[in-house]
Amino acid sequence: MKKIIIQSQDFSLSEEYGLLRQNSKGIGAVVTFIGLVRDFEGDSELTHLTIQHYPEMTERLIKQTVEESFERWTLNCVSVIHRVGKLTPSDQILFVGVSGRHRADAFCANQFIMDYLKTKATLWKKVHYTHRSEWAKEKISDTVAAERWRFSNE
Amino acid sequence: MCEVKLKFFGYLSDLSEEVPTVLSATTPTQIRSKLAIKFPKLASELHSPSLLLAVNKIIVNWDEPLEDGDEVAFLPPVTGG
Repeated sequence: MKKIIIQSQDFSLSEEYGLLRQNSKGIGAVVTFIGLVRDFEGDSELTHLTIQHYPEMTERLIKQTVEESFERWTLNCVSVIHRVGKLTPSDQILFVGVSGRHRADAFCANQFIMDYLKTKATLWKKVHYTHRSEWAKEKISDTVAAERWRFSNE
Repeated sequence: MCEVKLKFFGYLSDLSEEVPTVLSATTPTQIRSKLAIKFPKLASELHSPSLLLAVNKIIVNWDEPLEDGDEVAFLPPVTGG
């Protein structure tokens, strides 16, 4: 199973985990990651985020990353859900779930997908504070994290 | 000259609220030149080296020949996740 969904509505961790187990014969590991909206950026308290994306292109770019993860590691299922629209602090933003025979592959693939998603997928975050709003800027740390996968599978 | 659709994302979407959604142009470079006349601030941002350009959702260069009905999207560095 390769599942990639961009949606505004929330998702259920238990349902997504259930799907990964249900579709994964012979698996020995499931690694899940959930990103949440922080309530502070630095010293500033957030009221909410708005997440914009480029429909079809976003899904295609994430699919390419998921396909690459299957080429790099031995996996059974990958599921990626990214929410868009208005999100408030502590809301779930995204889900990445990977199942495989062994934990090492599942951990690496999950981190690879996250690192690539943050630097390649056509999604943009606008951060709203009480009296101002600003578009999030790219982080060098995210670029560095994604770059390391060019030369390594670990 | 082709009629192409324009899309702006991220911080560019705030700068492009008055920009027409359809424009006549043969290359993305020509789009940028045309926008510079009425929207100099936006056009200046389109010179950013970190900006990517997509035609029909495929990343291309600024000299990509455009065809009638193409969708040209200007993509600032992404910040999802």
